[in-house]
Parts: sequence; C-alpha cells; structure tokens
Amino acid sequence: MDTNADPSAAATPQQDGNELKALLDAAIDGVIVIDHAGRIATFNAAAERLFGYPSSEVIGQRVEMLMPEPYRTGHDAYMTSYQRTGKARIIGIGREVAARRRDGTVFPASLAVGEIPGSVPKRYVGFIHDISARKAATAALRRERDRAQSYLDLAQVMLVALDAAGHITLINRKGCEILGYTEAELVSRDWFEQCVSPTHRDAARAALRAALQGDGRALEYTEDEVITREGHAKLIGWRTTRIHDEQGNASGLLCSGEDITEQRRSEQALKRSEQLLISAQAIAKFGNFEIHLPDRASLWSQQVYDIIGRDPDAGPLAPEEFAGQFLHPDDRDRFLHDWRRGVAESGRFDLEYRIVRPDGSTRVVHTLAQTLPGKDAPSLVVTGTVHDITDRKLAEEELRQGQERLTHVARLSTMGEMATGLAHEINQPLTAIATYAQASTRLMDAPGGADPVELREVLVQITAQALRAGEVIRRLRAFVKNRAARTETLDMNRLIEDLRVLAEPDARVNDVRLTLELAPTVPTVAADPVQIQQVLLNLVRNAIDAMLEAPGAPREVVITTAVVDQDVEVCVIDRAGGIPPEVALHLFNPFYTTKEAGTGLGLAISRSIIRAHRGKLGHRPTPGGGTTFHFTLPQLPGG
Amino acid sequence: MKEKPATVFVVDDDDAVRTSLRLLLKSVGLPVETFSSAQEFLDSFDAERAGCLVLDIRMPGMSGLELQQRLNEIHAIVPIVFITGHGDVPMAVEAMQHGAVDFIQKPFRDQDLIDRINQALEKDRDNRAGLKERDTIRRRMQQLTPREREVLDLVTQGKANKVIAGDLNVSQRTVEIHRARVMEKMGASSLAHLVRMVIEAERAS
Repeated sequence: MDTNADPSAAATPQQDGNELKALLDAAIDGVIVIDHAGRIATFNAAAERLFGYPSSEVIGQRVEMLMPEPYRTGHDAYMTSYQRTGKARIIGIGREVAARRRDGTVFPASLAVGEIPGSVPKRYVGFIHDISARKAATAALRRERDRAQSYLDLAQVMLVALDAAGHITLINRKGCEILGYTEAELVSRDWFEQCVSPTHRDAARAALRAALQGDGRALEYTEDEVITREGHAKLIGWRTTRIHDEQGNASGLLCSGEDITEQRRSEQALKRSEQLLISAQAIAKFGNFEIHLPDRASLWSQQVYDIIGRDPDAGPLAPEEFAGQFLHPDDRDRFLHDWRRGVAESGRFDLEYRIVRPDGSTRVVHTLAQTLPGKDAPSLVVTGTVHDITDRKLAEEELRQGQERLTHVARLSTMGEMATGLAHEINQPLTAIATYAQASTRLMDAPGGADPVELREVLVQITAQALRAGEVIRRLRAFVKNRAARTETLDMNRLIEDLRVLAEPDARVNDVRLTLELAPTVPTVAADPVQIQQVLLNLVRNAIDAMLEAPGAPREVVITTAVVDQDVEVCVIDRAGGIPPEVALHLFNPFYTTKEAGTGLGLAISRSIIRAHRGKLGHRPTPGGGTTFHFTLPQLPGG
Repeated sequence: MKEKPATVFVVDDDDAVRTSLRLLLKSVGLPVETFSSAQEFLDSFDAERAGCLVLDIRMPGMSGLELQQRLNEIHAIVPIVFITGHGDVPMAVEAMQHGAVDFIQKPFRDQDLIDRINQALEKDRDNRAGLKERDTIRRRMQQLTPREREVLDLVTQGKANKVIAGDLNVSQRTVEIHRARVMEKMGASSLAHLVRMVIEAERAS
C-alpha cells in the first residue's frame, strides 16, 4: 500500500490494478476471489502465507483444494445449490471453517464470503484468517473455566452468583442438585422468582440490595429457605461475598450455601429426644451420671440435681464429697464402703441409701452403676443411674404396715374367739389364790392359830398360781401386741409346747383335747414366733370350730411335727366333718368365712405369713375323716 | 345323821382350785372329799351319804351339767352348788332349772361359798329328814287296819264323823273309836297334823 499516495489524484487502470494488489497484499486476512465455477481468481499474499501455496499454484484451480474433507466434496454441490436457490449458508454470514494447507495440515479459520456485486458471471470474495491462536486461547480459557466449574461442582456446597439485579450468573452442580433444576434452567433467571418462596421474596431482595451496598450484616452467615423445583422448602445456610467489577463497584454476590435441612432436622430431633429424656427422667425421678476416675471428674444429668436438691450451677460433686454433703449419716459409711468396693473389686454398684436434701427432707435413692475402662489404661468411667424411690418405698411401707395391721386384726380376732377359754384360764389361778388366802386367814383366826408349815405350803401355792396367771397374761400380751415382724431362730417343738398355754384353755372350754405328737427333734427354722403362733392358733381354732359343727366327731385336735425333705412340717389334724368342695375353693380368699362371727382373714393371713417365710400352707383330708392343715418352713442351713 | 357326818364333795378338774377349796372347807371344819373329774365322783357315789356337791360347771370329759343330769336320772337328792366362770351364766341358769341349789362365780368370797354350802347341807338334812318322816308315816300307815285306813282317808277328806258313819254304814260311835285308833297309831297330835302327814306321804310316792 502506498501510504503517500494522494487520494484525490486520479488513477489509471494500471494504477488501480497495482493499488488493488498492494492493498490486497497488505491485508492481514487472506483474500481469495473465486469465479462462479469455484475457480480461484485472486489469492493475496496473506493467503499465500496462510495456505503455503504461491498464488501461481492456485490461480485457476478449484477452491476445494483449500478445504479438508468433508467440506471439499460438499462445496461444489453447495455452490450449485446457492446459485440455483440463493440460499446461503456462508455468504454474507461468515463462519468458522476448517482450512487445508499445502502440506495437508488443517487449521481453523474464520471465513467471511461475499458476492461481488455486478459481476457476471458471479464472482465471490472470501476473507479468511487463521484463528488457531484465538481458538487455542479460547480453549485455554474454557479449560480454565471448566476447571473452575469443576472445582465449583466438586464443592459440596451450593455456589450461586447473582448479578446486581438478582439474576443467576452461575450456579454449580451441587446447587442444581439441591434445587432440582439443570444449570440451563437456572442461569440468567431471576433467583428470587425462581428459588425463593413468594412470601419471602421482598425480604430476600432487600437483603441482596443491602449486601451490595456493603451492609456487613447481610454478609454474615444467614439461614434461609429455598424452594426446589418440586416445591419443597430446604433450609440453606448461606455465606456471601460481593463480586466487584473492574471499577471496584459491587456488581453481584457470590453465595455459598449448605443444605442444612437434614442437619437441622436431626438437630431438632436430637434436641427433642434430649427434651424427652429430660422430661422422662423428671417424671420417673431418674437421673444418670458419669464419673471419671481417678480424677473424679463428674457429669450429672439435670434430674440428679433435682433429686438431691442441688443447684445445677453448683456443678457435680465427686462421690466422697457427695456422701459427705448429702448422705444420711446412718447410711454414709455403708455407702462409701460399697462405693469403694464397687470401684476396687466388683465393678458393679447396687446401692440403696437415704439422702438429706438441703431443705432437710429425706429421700430414698437407688443407684445402679458399673465401671467401664477409660481411654487410658488405669482410668475408669463409672456410669450409672440415680433413682428416687422414696414414693415407692413409702407405698411399700404403707402396704407393709397395712399388711401388718391386717395381720394384727386377724390375731386379735383369733384371740377374741379364744377369749372365753383364756378368761377361764386366768380365772382359775385367781380363784385358787383367793381361796388359799381366805382359807389361810381362817386357819390363823382359829383357836391355836395356823400350822406354820401348812401356811408356808399355802403361800408357795399362792405364788405358783399368781405366776401361772401372770404367764397366761404375758403370753396373751406378747401375742396380741401390735409389733413389727421379727425373725428369730426357732425350735418348732418348743414353740408348739409354749403355744399350749394359749391353745389349751380354748380347747378345754370347748371340751376338746389338744394332743401334741412332736418329732423327737426338728431342725431350727428362721421365723417370727408370734406370726407362726398366730398361724397355729388359727388352725387350732378352726379345728375346734369344725368339731362344734360335727357333733359326735372325736373331740381331739392333734398337732404334729415332722421333717419332710428339707423342711419342717407342722400338721394340725382334726377328725371333724372335713371341708366341702365349694368351701375349699374359697378357703384362702380374704373375707371368705363360714363362721357367724368370722372375719374371713384367718386363713388368708396365715397363708401369706407362711409364704413370707418361704413355706407352704395347705390342707388334705385326714385319713378316716376330718381335715389336716399342714405348713412347712424351710430349715435353717446347718439348723 | 348319827351314822356319818355330812360331807362336802368337791369336783373340779383344776388341781389348784380343788386343793384350795379343800383347805378352805377344812378350815371351817367341814369334812371334804375332792374329785378331779365327774366320772371319778360318779364311780364312788353313794346315795346314802349325807352332804352336798360343789361342782365346777365346765370340765373336760363329763361336764358339771352332765353330772347333774346323771344324778337326776338316778333320783339322787344330793344338793349341788355350782361354781362357774364369768361367761357361764346361761349354763348356771340351766343348772338352776334342773334343781341346783345355787351357783357362785369364780373367784368368790369364802363366806359366800360357805353360806351356800351350808344352805345345801341344810337342804340335804331337810331332804333326808323328810325322807325319814315319810318312811315313819308310811310304816305307821301300814299298821292301820283296812277299816282304820278307810276312816283316815275320809277324815283327811274333811268329812264329819256323822257323815263317815253314814258312808261306812256304821254307828257314829264306831267311827269315833276308829278315829282315835288312827290318831294313836299315826302319832298325830291333831287333825291338822294327821292331814299334813298324809299329804307328806302321798307327795313322796
């Protein structure tokens, strides 16, 4: 190109030709003119450089030589088609094509083709340049972008970039996954319209504006719901940064979001189950604890504090301090002893103890615990429960007292039935005493006075009779006294012999003979003597009553003792009418009675007494008629 | 009464009560015999012996009431003082209905018992005296001739001599002679006495 040429000067055709050539050769793009048949007419210097052909080799040749397959074979048909239909695929449009160099290599090129106006037949000009470098740069850029995208996609968080208007400029795979859309369905859409619930849209847009304006709060961690394609709400924890343009203005936001729906749900579930545990523990008065040894670091559940009445803020106590501050003085040593033994030996704890709360009230507490090995070899963890069993204990105690009262009532009732005989039994010695004393007075008043030897004998008799009456009263009192159950080591034979004092008067007034047929020796048993006497007297009474209802039956009650297996068996045998089957059915039911003045408690309580002694009470027919009631008591080991 | 002194028979199964009673009765000079059961007493019972029975109402085996019943069955006349416990009043009432002299509750004042025993002994004396008198009357009545017996019956029916003479178809004088013989044989001091003797004799039979 002649840069000094005067553009206003007129040019000759030769000049025009030279100028055009210079112009064409100065062009950076390859310029190729072809005729209507596709033959190359012009091939400029840039084209020579591009394709590696000198123009002389290509002028007049078909342009297909510059194309790789499949363009090469398709071109002719294309040109024919264009000329017939005027339908362009490239002319006036420009496109990216593949070009073929002289050495056969192919390179990407940008091709713009135009029809030369007024040319007949038609001629076409193509401008072509090598876009390899641009392609490479674009590819590198794309690779870079893909790599970034893959980073974004690999990230297990949702990444969304929004422009200042709130349109999505980028979203990663995780984001798509969470929202249930494809990337294409989201990019360039309005985030708020697409992914935020209508009720929340305005607030969310306001937050975007605030963040863009630099409101720090809007950039803090926030939790917000998104709406998925399916319409489900998901809770997302967001972290947001601003994107700046070259001028440093905030042009958008990059938000990273984590789907915390599940996490929050499980947190809430955990919280709820913790709440449930706390309220369950409160209802059950059940706490638990953990103590690390040897450093004695302790952890108590809320309920432990509630049970012992300690402020939770005051924190847990080591076992020894706990014992010192809260244990009932009577239980403290035992607690500490059991505790230490549990730690040192068994690894198991089953402790029942009383605590005194700071308000002075006493609670009964049951602790079950076990030791587990700690993280380091010598360390231990004791985990266990603290259960306030005061109410249960009270109920048990009430039940026990009720049972005791009932037992006592039954005893009094039995004694009431025996009252006539016992009154008689006390009246006899009193009568003897009164008579002896009055006789002595008369003897002393008689002329000559009484014989001292005789008088002395009378006084001995009086003493014996007074003691006799006293003995009956003593036994009576011991029997009817309301007292706590007490286990003693007993010789059943002795007990039955002693019982005679109480049982025989009753038998006598009812004209019944009481006979004892005791084994020469019986092993000792552990039992409450009064309760066993109660059972025996009840059975003897029943036998006597049975006889009163069976006139003509032999009026004898026999008490026997024997050793059966490992047990001591006691039988009370009568020869009365026996027990009708319909009565036998209800015999041991409380308040069932066939007696006019009976309470119906006797046998029911007798059976529960024997059961409490780990024995059995039952009955069987006496051979030859009547009933034999029998009960067993287990003998003492070594008894 | 001259043969054997009246005896207090004590029946009680309780050794101490029995022994103390023996001592008490001995101290007031009453002859005592004691028995530990009704059967033992019954085995040695002698209806001829004067005295009274001090009887415990409750005893194993044969009770006091049963012994009373047995004695009644053999028409024994021995008076009974029952000793009873507190709850035995119904039984004591039954005993009284069957002829017991009295009952006394244990324990008792010695004088109360002694008084009752004395009453019983007196009754026994009366009983035995009555028996003896009836025997005498009957013996005397057996000495009367048939005619004298007729006159006795009519006299004790309250008929005048004249009426009797008419009934028997004899003279009034004859009646007077028979009547005098009857008075003499029967040992009657007056008509009233004679009537009492006849009533007595009839009552016992």
